Formats: sequence, structure tokens, C-alpha cells
Amino acid sequence: MKAGVTAWWGLAVADFRERVRRPAYLVMLISAVGLGWLAVPPTDARWVVLDAGGHRGLYTSAYVGLVTALTSALWLTFVGFYLVRDAVARDVRTGVGQLLAAGPLRTPVYLAGKFTSNLLVLGSMAGVLAVTALVLQLLRGESRTVDPVGLLAPFVFLALPMLAVTAAAALLFETTPVLRSGFGNMLWCFVWMAGAVGGQSASAPLGGIGVGQLAGTMPATADTFGLGLMYVDRPLRTFEWSGLPLDAGFVAGRAALTLLAVAVALLPALWFHRFDVATRSTARSLPEPHTVYQGLPPTAAVAGSATGRLLAAEVLILVRGAPWWWWAGAALLAVAGLAAPPGPVLAVVWIWPVLLWSRLGTRQETAAILAAYPAPRRRLVAEWAAGVLLAAATGALPAVRMLAGADLPGLAAWTAGALFIPALALALGTLTGAPRTFQALYTVLWYMVINDVAALDFMGALPSGGPPPAAVAGAAVALFGLAFGVTRLRHARR
Amino acid sequence: MLELIDITKVYKGHKRAVDGLTLRLGPGLVGLLGPNGAGKSSLLRIAATVTRPTGGQVRFAGGDAVAKPGPLRRALGYLPQDFGVYPHLTGHEFLSYLAAVRGLAGRSARARVGELLELVNLTHAAKRPLGGYSGGMLRRVGIAQALLADPRIIVVDEPTAGLDPEERVRFRNLLSDLSADRSVLLSTHIVSDVESVATRIVVVTGGRIRFDGEPVELQRGVAGHVWELTVPPAELTALQRRLPVTRLVRTAEQVRVRVLAAHRPAPDATPVPPDLEDAYLAVVHRTRVTT
Repeated sequence: MKAGVTAWWGLAVADFRERVRRPAYLVMLISAVGLGWLAVPPTDARWVVLDAGGHRGLYTSAYVGLVTALTSALWLTFVGFYLVRDAVARDVRTGVGQLLAAGPLRTPVYLAGKFTSNLLVLGSMAGVLAVTALVLQLLRGESRTVDPVGLLAPFVFLALPMLAVTAAAALLFETTPVLRSGFGNMLWCFVWMAGAVGGQSASAPLGGIGVGQLAGTMPATADTFGLGLMYVDRPLRTFEWSGLPLDAGFVAGRAALTLLAVAVALLPALWFHRFDVATRSTARSLPEPHTVYQGLPPTAAVAGSATGRLLAAEVLILVRGAPWWWWAGAALLAVAGLAAPPGPVLAVVWIWPVLLWSRLGTRQETAAILAAYPAPRRRLVAEWAAGVLLAAATGALPAVRMLAGADLPGLAAWTAGALFIPALALALGTLTGAPRTFQALYTVLWYMVINDVAALDFMGALPSGGPPPAAVAGAAVALFGLAFGVTRLRHARR
Repeated sequence: MLELIDITKVYKGHKRAVDGLTLRLGPGLVGLLGPNGAGKSSLLRIAATVTRPTGGQVRFAGGDAVAKPGPLRRALGYLPQDFGVYPHLTGHEFLSYLAAVRGLAGRSARARVGELLELVNLTHAAKRPLGGYSGGMLRRVGIAQALLADPRIIVVDEPTAGLDPEERVRFRNLLSDLSADRSVLLSTHIVSDVESVATRIVVVTGGRIRFDGEPVELQRGVAGHVWELTVPPAELTALQRRLPVTRLVRTAEQVRVRVLAAHRPAPDATPVPPDLEDAYLAVVHRTRVTT
């Protein structure tokens, strides 16, 4: 038992240290400060994250604690999922997992350690938010009385359970075969959206986010209580909030939610592969014929035009490895698209390749070899062009129908969209080195488009029309320029 | 051909990996020997334009290869110590892709990819995804890619790691042929990798060159300083504290030891002719003692 506790804590602390010593962690903490600033805006600001029937609380310790804790419960559950969703994958990648698997460490202890590490990372961001809240309380100056218990209670009872759920979900997604892929990243967008909306209801299971309990303590009804980044026409009226109502039912609900998160984190022990490579790849041995060294290759290496072959190879790298069901789905969408208007069809066919586009800019495998190869700029252009070709191929049918219907504005939007999507993927992939950011952001962007947010309709899918195609194409060029600039900068600082 | 002049590389935390090192490469094979952490890989990455030096110059064909790496990259074949591949591509597709990146004409690329797969004995596996290759097979893919553009400069870092003895011999033959009219810089800490093929040995420790010359010259430096003697197991630790031991073989009751010493270390010690490993270890030991 004692050995298990030592192993659990040792693993959690080592994993946490590994993460916090990366520059990305500092960016995460700075982002947390930014979130705090959004949650406690200046008194004359035109945005709020909590609208209690046209009111907001005076900036007391309890109230700034509440709004920052709710902000972390709302936003860290989304962003935080992607930030911590690499704990097991890193052990696979680095080979540390195999070292651990060969030791006496039991799988539930391993999962508990990773869950704790996830929670420590998210908790440290919430901790920075709590400090930011205190600083902002003093800065805004509506109340100078510091009440540490009032400030921290919302973090303990509102934020912490939600962060535990996020930490557990990240681990569950990482250790479950189907969810481990980019599909899991996209699925979390929808899970989070459903949770963020449904979790605000007073009847949500285990109290949801916990805000259902708050309406009674504020001058708001369930209908007039709003949580989320909102624009207001004029600064809200103020009231003095009495603090978090800590009755037994509320505390029990929060504790139950946290325990449920722990159970979800440990559940994958039933199926986790424990770094057994044999379950993930086929036999490696190939019969080797005996041959004799016969000297250097006789054919001379002749330089020539290779642009076409480079582009074809980039397309191959992009699509090779897509499972059969991906191709079947793409074919099905193409056929189904014959019966529907081109705009909605385009919206559907341009979400299907998201996992393939998300590979753009993230291919680190061959970096060690390609770093010594000539023409890095040509490679980057070819990579983008491969993404554009994929967009063109999957969106070909709507384009043909637009052409047949002489829908030139639609075609212009189609062209801009085909340039924009891979440029976004390439820029985010180059910046972050991982596909997760694009998978999450593009899914949200796409979701907003299909929910009639015309201002974001980069592909011209909505009848009302989106931004001018020239602006979308300009954004695509700017995003490609960003990827290009970052690549150049890294090359210059190599 | 390729000149590394007064190269310094300082990493974050003031870790000085390469310290004012100068190396000029002409035709022939230079074996770069050194213990782990000596700065060999850093030096090779600088020579391959992958890493910028903190100080010094890299010159190729009269030009500055740090500011303008293009000309050197077009003439370079580089095999890094660790590298990855695209696991879903076949060996043939992967090399064809890299040939396109290198800007080889179609017909030339097709022929060379086939010939190089034959050269590294992978023709039989050319149409299988790289994800199913063993470590040794991937290393051979790495060797093949380094030779795609028939480079004039070849920089290889621990190239024989993961190769079986038969493939090591094949690779040595290949290097020997290549070095006839090209510059080959081979980094390793396995002395036998360079013993039979290197025309020049460079020993590096602490980011500095400690020896630069022909292999026989390196061996000559320790002539008369290599001894063999037999000791009881209980005395081995004391002997190892006193003298650098280059080899030992345990028998039932005794230990046969090969040591480096300026003078006869024990009455029953017999002088033996030094090999390259003795000579290399002597240089490394001397450096440790004096720094």
C-alpha cells in the first residue's frame, strides 16, 4: 500500500515537473492571468462573464473568486483538456512507458499518477487565476477587504471538480483506442459545448458546473442568469454578493462529482495497453535475402524539375494512413451531396478531412533528416498546396454544381475556403507542433458556421453569405505567411 | 572542401559543447572518436547546417555555409544519430519523396532509389510500409537517403547503431568506396567502426580536438605503454584506481588485464603491441587527467 502511494505521488510529481519545465507552461500561466483579467473587467467595461439579471457583484474577494473560478470551470475545461492530453502519449513517444511497464508499477497506480499530474497542471493554472483575482480585486478598488476563504471557496467547490472531470476525461480519451485519435479531440468540443450549456441548469446531474445553486443568491432568475463572455450595452448595475452557499447538499454534490472523476480516470485500467507494442503493430520481421556489396550506384544524380513529384508525395503523406472507413465516408458524402444544395454539402464535406488537415505543419518525424535538406521554403509551399488539393478534391462536387449553376460568388467563396482551411492548419501546426489546436479550433469554427454565424462563414456555406472571399483568401495568405515566418525564424535560430 | 574554423557551440545554461574547434575536410574518411558528451554530435550537426555555431565559421567551396547553407546542403548527405520516418509510406515511396525534396530529375531519382535500396539490401522490403521495419532496416533507409544526391560531403553520426555484423561489414565497404573521392566525416564511439577504413582519426573530448592524425600515428603514440598482466580478482579494483584498464577477461580464479602505463606496472606484466582502441583510450585518459 505504502509502495503504491509512493509510486503514485512520485509519478505525478515527475510528470508535473516534466510539463512545467517546458516554455509552453509559462504561456499557459500567462493565459490564466489573461483569463482572470477578462473575468474581472474594469468597472466601465462593456463585457462580462457573469450577468445576473443585469447586475454584477461588487468586486469583493468572494465575488472576484466566484467569477474567476467560474471562468476557469468554463474555459479551462475546454482548453485545459487539450493542454493536458499528452500525458500517456508522451510516455509512448519517449519510451518511458516501456521502462515503467517493465517495473512493478500497477496500471491503476500509473493512471492515478497521470490523473494527479493532469490535475496539478490545471490546478496550478487555477491557482494563478486565484492570485490574479486577488490582485484585480485590489486594483479595481471596489472593496479593499481581503477574505481568503471567500476568495478560495469558489475555486475549491466550483473549479476544482470541473478540473478533475477535465483531467479524467483527458486520460480516458488518451487511453481509449477510438478516442485516442484526433476524433477524440473533435468529440471533446461537442462534449464540452453540451456540458457548458447543460451544466448551468439547476437540474444538471450532481449540480453540473454548480451555478444552479447561485441564482438564489443573486438578483437573477434562471432565465436571466448568464455565464460566458458577453457584450453589454452599458456597464451592469452592482450588488453585494453574500458568498457561496455551502450547504451539505451542495458540498456532497461537488464531492460526488470529484469522486466520479477519479473513477473515470481509473476506469481505463480495464483496457489500457500498458505500452505493449505487440498490441499496436504487426510483426516486424521480414526475411532478409543474402546479397553481396557490389559497389556504388551507377546512375548519376541529375538535378531537374521535381515540383510535381514533390506535390504528389506531399499529398501521399497527407492521406496515406487514413483508414478505410474514412475513404468510405468521403465517398458516401460525395454521393449524398448530389441531392442537397452545394452550400450545406460543402459544410459537411469540409469537416470530414479535418484529421488529415491537422497533420499539416506538425510532422516532426523527419525533421532531423530534412533539416539538412535544401529548399525548405519549397517544401512548405508544397505542404500547403497538398492541403489545398485535399480541400479541392473533397469539395469538388459542390464546386462543379456551383459552376453548372453559374454561381460565381459561391465559387469564389469555395476557392477562398479551400485556401483558408489548410493555411489555418499549417499555421497552427507550425506554431504548436501538434494537431490538437487545429482540430479543436476548426471544429468550433465549423460548428459556429453551421449555427448561422455568418461572419465566420469562410466557405460560403450559408445562404446569407459570409465575409468577402477576398478577405478570407487574404487571411489564408496571412496564415501561410505566419507559418512561413515562424519556419524562417526557427531556421535562423537553429 | 569543407572547413570548420574555430567553431564554438554554447547551449542554454552555458554548456559549452564545442570549444574553439577547427577541422578541415578533404577527400577521405575522417573518423571522429570521442566519449559520450564529447561534442561529436553537436559538431556534426553544425557541419550538416542543422545547428548554427555560437562562434566560428563553416566554409564550403569558399562560401559562408552558416549564412547561406544552400550550396552545402545540395552537396551534403547527412545521417543523424536519431531520425524518424513516415510510417505509412513504403521504403520506396519515402526515398522517392526525399529525392523530390532534393530536386532530383524524375528518371535519375527513380534509378537511384532502386539502386540505393539494392545497395542497402532493402529491395525485398521496398514496398512495405516503414512502420513495419526493424531498427536496423530503418538505419539502412537512413544511409540510403544520405546518398540520394551522390553527395560530395557525407556526414554520418553513429551510422552502424542497430546494424548486424554482416551489414556493418557492408557499410564499411561502402564508406571505403565513397571516401575515395569524397569527404566523409563519421562520428562514433565504436573504435572498430573506423579502424579499417579511416584515413584520419580525430579524437574529441570536452568539445576540443585532442588528436588529429593518421591511425598509425595515434597507435605509435602509445607504443610501449600497453601491458598485459594477471591479477587476483581482489586486487582488480586497486589496479583500476591506479591505471587505465582497456580490457579484462575473467577466468576461474584470475583476471587477465590490459592496462596503459608508462612503465612496467608489475613484475609479471608483459608489453603488447597497442591497437587503436588502446591508443584512443590513452588520449581520453590523458585528457581527463590533465583537465
